[in-house]
Amino acid sequence: MTILARIPQLLVYGIISGSIISLGGIGVSLTYSILGFSNFAHGDFMALGAYIALGLFTLLTGLGIPNTTFGPLSFGFGFTVAFILAIGLTVIAVILIDRLLFRRLRRAGPIILMMSSIGVSLALRNILQFSWGPQPHYYNQLIQPAILIPALNIRIKPDEVFIIVVAIVLVVLVHAFMRYTKMGKAMRAMADNATLAQVTGINTDRVIIWTWVIGAGLAATAGILAGIENKFITPELGWQMLLSIFAGVVLGGIGNPYGAILGGMVIGISEEVSTVFISTGYKPVVAFVIMILMLLVKPTGLLGRKN
Amino acid sequence: MSLLTVEQVTSGYGDMEVLHDVSIVVNVQEIVTIIGPNGAGKSTLMKTIFGLLKPTTGAIQFAEHGIDGLSPDRIVRLGMAYVPQVENVFPSLTVRENLEMGAFIRNDDFSDRISEMFALFPVLERRGKQQVGKMSGGERQMVAMARALMLNPQLILLDEPSAALAPNLAQVIFERIVAVNETGVAILIVEQNAKGSLGLSDRGYVLAGGCNRFTDTGENLLANEEIGQLYLGG
Repeated sequence: MTILARIPQLLVYGIISGSIISLGGIGVSLTYSILGFSNFAHGDFMALGAYIALGLFTLLTGLGIPNTTFGPLSFGFGFTVAFILAIGLTVIAVILIDRLLFRRLRRAGPIILMMSSIGVSLALRNILQFSWGPQPHYYNQLIQPAILIPALNIRIKPDEVFIIVVAIVLVVLVHAFMRYTKMGKAMRAMADNATLAQVTGINTDRVIIWTWVIGAGLAATAGILAGIENKFITPELGWQMLLSIFAGVVLGGIGNPYGAILGGMVIGISEEVSTVFISTGYKPVVAFVIMILMLLVKPTGLLGRKN
Repeated sequence: MSLLTVEQVTSGYGDMEVLHDVSIVVNVQEIVTIIGPNGAGKSTLMKTIFGLLKPTTGAIQFAEHGIDGLSPDRIVRLGMAYVPQVENVFPSLTVRENLEMGAFIRNDDFSDRISEMFALFPVLERRGKQQVGKMSGGERQMVAMARALMLNPQLILLDEPSAALAPNLAQVIFERIVAVNETGVAILIVEQNAKGSLGLSDRGYVLAGGCNRFTDTGENLLANEEIGQLYLGG
């Protein structure tokens, strides 16, 4: 098969991986613009969500919740319930981490917050490893036949269609929330100018909690979707994706959630398409090179504001 | 009747004391201007009144509450609003969204108040859906004032409202300030270049080196030759 003929299929893989990177990136971007620091624990929030879903799924299966799959998808009712509950539990865990740690360091400045997030990242990853071990765990081991679309010369699995649809729906929901709700507007206001938000009477602590609800909720979703796509999860799952996520956020314009979506998609697609030309092992290098080029050419990113 | 009383307040940034025993009074529905050279401590006084800085000594009373040491969001709830000198709008939000943020703590329907603001600042009505970051300095100043007025405050603090505006635009802003005052709101203005502001003020204070220097009616301060030479550029 010629190189060009492989590209449509790689675009599909790129869109799938870009969907997951984008969902992670929205949270990183919101944390950066509203709380003012780069959260290195964000990838581990993804892994936390993926493992909580695994734990709940095992529990529900043990309780006898039927596992018949939804149509062509690889999962059914039990996993869906575990998926949704895991999002909620991850949000609660992250808000607890904020109350116990980040809130106390709020005045200490962005560097201290960033360093402490590296600590959170290490702690979470090791807790997961301690609880479940370093070996991969499987949501299921079904072999799912791919759908062939000969006209476009691509194959895509039903699970992958699900991943893309979930990402699109969530992006639309986040957009609607930020644009039309009072709390969404307050989040944008606080990202613009946190001091003015406080002076205006906006309850900045509530805005911060909502920032974590959205960021951690999307992170858990991204982690579980990554587990569905890869077929297995490890404690390193999110940490390994963090470079791609940061690259996407910087590419799109740090602090702009729409930029994070666009940037995540570009990084996902670039990483996959690059495998035509270079070894798969160099995927992270692609993300890194794109991030550095963007910082050299236009440090504010594709959709970033001047100043 | 006094609305705001600042009594012998000493304040500053960390160890650096900027204000020394400063006292001022703003009565109900009054316009009061504080003038003084660069570095006199005018903005520091504003920030101290609004709870962004804590006074080391002295007391601040507002509407019969002791407010020194309260945080800005508590002070907002008591009926005071503050328009900082710079970065006083949310640039990525539209005009209407900026006003909605001004009413954040209101849970009732405030659409009437938005209409009142558009009546007070007619230029803003046509621009309701425009991003404030793309508007001119004068328009932003109006957005900032309208945002601060959304909670029907009794007192509004304006930090150099005419700074960086062309003289004719500054005049427009001063006219709007009088119009706001006529709705019953007391106004405390800080100005460096203060002729326009003193002209419309009931009373004025001169602050220099972080201390009270003079106080009189706006008219008298404008007529005072010494103050004219020292602080109003002759």
